[in-house]
Amino acid sequence: MAALEAGIDSIEVASVARRRRRIGPLFVVAAAWIVLIVSAAILAGVLPLPSPTDIDMLGKRAPPSAEHWLGNDGLGRDVLSRLIYGARFSLTVGLLAPVIGVVIGGFLGMMAGYFRGRLETFIVGGMDVLLAFPPLVLALAVTAYLGQSVANLTLVIGVLGIPAFTRVARAVTLSLSEREFVTAARALGATHSRILLRELLPNVALPLLAFFLLGVAVTIVVEGALSFLGLGVPPPTPSWGSMIGEGRESLDIAPQLAFLPAGFMFATVLAFNIVGDTLRALTDPRPGAL
Amino acid sequence: MARFIGRRLVYLLPVLLAVTLLTFLIASLLPGDLAVTILGDQATPEKVEALRAQMGLDLPLWERYLRWLWGVAHGDLGRSFRTGETVLAAVADRLPVSLELMVIAEGMGLLIAIPLAILCAVKSGGALDRFMTGLAFGKLSLPPYLVAILLIYLFAVELNLLPATGWVPFSEDPITNIRSFVLPGLTLAFAEWPVLMRVLRSDMIATLQEDYIAMAKAKGLKPARILLVHALKPSSLTLVTVTGINIGRLIGGTLIIETIFALPGIGRLLVGAIYARDFIILQGVVLFVAVGFVIVNFIVDMLYAVLDPRIRHGRA
Amino acid sequence: MSIFRLRTLGCVLAAMALAGGPAHAQKQGGTLTVGLELDIPGFDPLKVGVYDTSQNMAAALMLETLVRLDDNGKAAPSLAVSWSHSDDFKTWTFKLRPGVKFHDGTPFNAAAVKWNFDRQKDPKNNCRCAFYISFINSVDAPDDLTLVYNLRDPSVNLPTILTIQSSNNVVQSPAAIQAKGDDYNRNPVGTGPYVIKSWTAGDRMVLERNPNYWNKDKVYLDSIVLRPLPDSQSRFASLKSGETDLVWADEFEADNIQRAKTDSSLQVLSYAGSGAAVNVFNTKVAPLDDVRVRQALVMALDRKKYSQALTNGLSRPARNPYGDGSWVQCKDDGALPEDPKKAAELIKEYGKPVSFKMLFTATPRGRANGQILQQFWKNIGVNMEIEQVDQATIPARAFQRKFDVTPWRIVDFPDPDVQMFANFYSKSPLNLANFTDPALDKALEGARLTPDEAKRTEFYCEASRIINKDATWFWTFQNTYYAMAKAKVKGVPKLYGGVIDVSHAWLE
Repeated sequence: MAALEAGIDSIEVASVARRRRRIGPLFVVAAAWIVLIVSAAILAGVLPLPSPTDIDMLGKRAPPSAEHWLGNDGLGRDVLSRLIYGARFSLTVGLLAPVIGVVIGGFLGMMAGYFRGRLETFIVGGMDVLLAFPPLVLALAVTAYLGQSVANLTLVIGVLGIPAFTRVARAVTLSLSEREFVTAARALGATHSRILLRELLPNVALPLLAFFLLGVAVTIVVEGALSFLGLGVPPPTPSWGSMIGEGRESLDIAPQLAFLPAGFMFATVLAFNIVGDTLRALTDPRPGAL
Repeated sequence: MARFIGRRLVYLLPVLLAVTLLTFLIASLLPGDLAVTILGDQATPEKVEALRAQMGLDLPLWERYLRWLWGVAHGDLGRSFRTGETVLAAVADRLPVSLELMVIAEGMGLLIAIPLAILCAVKSGGALDRFMTGLAFGKLSLPPYLVAILLIYLFAVELNLLPATGWVPFSEDPITNIRSFVLPGLTLAFAEWPVLMRVLRSDMIATLQEDYIAMAKAKGLKPARILLVHALKPSSLTLVTVTGINIGRLIGGTLIIETIFALPGIGRLLVGAIYARDFIILQGVVLFVAVGFVIVNFIVDMLYAVLDPRIRHGRA
Repeated sequence: MSIFRLRTLGCVLAAMALAGGPAHAQKQGGTLTVGLELDIPGFDPLKVGVYDTSQNMAAALMLETLVRLDDNGKAAPSLAVSWSHSDDFKTWTFKLRPGVKFHDGTPFNAAAVKWNFDRQKDPKNNCRCAFYISFINSVDAPDDLTLVYNLRDPSVNLPTILTIQSSNNVVQSPAAIQAKGDDYNRNPVGTGPYVIKSWTAGDRMVLERNPNYWNKDKVYLDSIVLRPLPDSQSRFASLKSGETDLVWADEFEADNIQRAKTDSSLQVLSYAGSGAAVNVFNTKVAPLDDVRVRQALVMALDRKKYSQALTNGLSRPARNPYGDGSWVQCKDDGALPEDPKKAAELIKEYGKPVSFKMLFTATPRGRANGQILQQFWKNIGVNMEIEQVDQATIPARAFQRKFDVTPWRIVDFPDPDVQMFANFYSKSPLNLANFTDPALDKALEGARLTPDEAKRTEFYCEASRIINKDATWFWTFQNTYYAMAKAKVKGVPKLYGGVIDVSHAWLE
């Protein structure tokens, strides 16, 4: 649906001018931030941080001190530690959920783009059905009823991401299917699966990887939204979204409680967007994408 | 033309049907016995059985689905067991609020996007253009709830200029009503304007390269007149369709904003229904939103095709 | 003027000053806008079951009870003007107020009250409210103005029990219920000082003065607007901006209450009620079936620190189910000491790992409570997992005993009998802890057989000692009910039962 693609693929639209610049300084900074935040999340256990869930009941909203470098939050817990453990949670969901989307969506998209016909109509139609539902409502309903856990959250967000990856995989496969190397392989008598796996998959994988990174950004935002409403991360585990939601209560007394996690989330999402988009511009085989 | 519409309609109907099926399945398969929830502390096994029979919960899934679908086709989406009001009444009460928010948000988005797009199209490639591109890109990384917090902090907490809550119906007090939509509308507009601006900018750049613009310039027409009358109108095609799609897409997307700013719209109705396990409202409203989305997209697709003959025939 | 006349004038003036009532004269007119916590689904007991606080507050304006509480917490006439009881306290006779009409013009009489009662009690109607009138066998209406309650168990304080504006106690028009059927729920008809003018779900309920109210001299406001504002920040913001004149609040909004206290344009109404916020152990589920574990969990708490973290110290620690606001005051309530070391020892003595789930509301308040309790229990080596559910699910799970630990509340009430018996009598269906202790049963039975407050206090204190030792329930904080309002709002009585009754309020 041409109109839909025009409207929804906003990332593509914004990156038109971007294409001229490839690996620029912005890319380096973004990649560096990602490395930094991922390392911090992985190493959280060994870093000299106080526990993110230990409540100092008499130290509500304490200002920065030697013991608590960024002070305490509304329940007396160390802010810096929660920011880093929050990174761990948000990144875990952020990295795992799109895997579901990439694997299933990529598979379905390639099938649709390669075999065309009824299968394509069916798959595209199915994706349209899924897209018709307000995603946040679905995610809310599932977590509210099935319970909050990392697994449920990852699953729901992952499934909601499938249509986007399907669309990308299908579009890329469509354009690749017309290329010479595929025609040649078919002339040589290669089976469908051979063509799909040997010829198409390696070429589809790169754009999918780029969109995967964009998907990470979106997932962090969606998980943040759910946690902001209190229905994402199970307490007492921190997540940037839940920290922002809790910080909202203290906006006039201690605005940093909301703005610090917001800043971290923004920086991380932006970094993934930049890296993902640059990669996408470099690897998209579609001639003149928008 | 008719064949094109016909083909798309044939595609539309199964999609709508699948949407109803998926809605029904989601609402029905979520755990929690509806009868037990309704009966609460009166829930003895016998009473539960009786209520289940009365509500038709003991029928097989497909039969319940068909019954529900039959009711939907006749305009009966059910009645909330909590409040007794019908789903249609609940939606009718709240839809205007969400619609007003969406229209105001999209309108604000356009107000920001159009002048910026014109400026960037004219000075394409220049410093302003690249700055705007970067800004638009950055805005995409800032989800609405973060923008909301920022705006609330700036305008409601620090400057005390605009209210963070306090919606009144338009009929009661138009000024307060519009005022209560400023912050939430601005929040959503911030997310909308990058797309709108980019789309209009691309189209305008293409249009400005057309011959008749050069002719107009040669004729000595004022640049403002050229821009607004001769260039803007034909470039607006994609903008109009994107605006239409976005308004449709916003139907379910105002949830968080409505919650933060305490606006009694569809989004809050959904959140409330989820919290209270009000399956019937949940089912009915999700159906309403999803079907609405599919139909809006269909209409926009039709409009787009009517206006752009390239789409009607032959697709990549 | 002669001295005589001057003195007379002076006496007359003095008399006028003394008889003139309170220093602020009640002003007529105006609209009061109230911010409630929850939206109201409706008023038909058969549909909504038991009213929550928001419904109580709305009901207080349109629907009336037979008896109300005066400023001293004693029973005073409302729709009933006098009452008497049999020697065994099992039969109570009420004389009703003549000449009262429902909003739809039909007469209020004993038959109407009886009709309401029968409808709620009828097992065919499956009313979730039926449990709370199970102690009343039947209600008779021998004539238009005489009502007889026949009780299953003796009740020494029945009139005070009938004061709270619950779905059982308010009298609604039988004619209207029968005429409107399903639509009655959103169109209640009572005898009260205000009538619904309009009601938009999720937005507001507008009530206006009832011109035919039987006590219309005591009604001052022209109209009242009720608005559900579930978000505490929005509620407080609406009060500050003037969109509302009065809002419901609770101690969790400690910051806002603090701000309101220092703001001269606002006032904070508070009432130290009886009862407490409590939690229930399901004693049939391991590891909570071992009394050592339960006692340890209770002793691990430090309520002062808990209060500091949760509400900046506003919460008042509770030691027993009655609290400072109750007439039951115990010299020895058997409260377990706050001793985390001893608690840790008990857990070690138990030997096996202690791990369980606890229910909390999916609200910031619920999450904060959950994480603080988690912390206390982590300190003694216990692992508690937070399970978030919405408010409406908690009673359902509680009644089905599908929980390990659940929050509950003993509401402020003029007589402890109703809730103590419901919660702790072994054969009560609301014995949420599933616990049987014959000594406890005896204490509770004894307390309802005598009207002597001193003797009853003894029984209730004995009950408290037993419950604290068995550690089947535990109490965290006493009930303190709050409302915040503009300084000009006057005439709001004590927040009995947590209900903000603005039916006789006025604006300066």
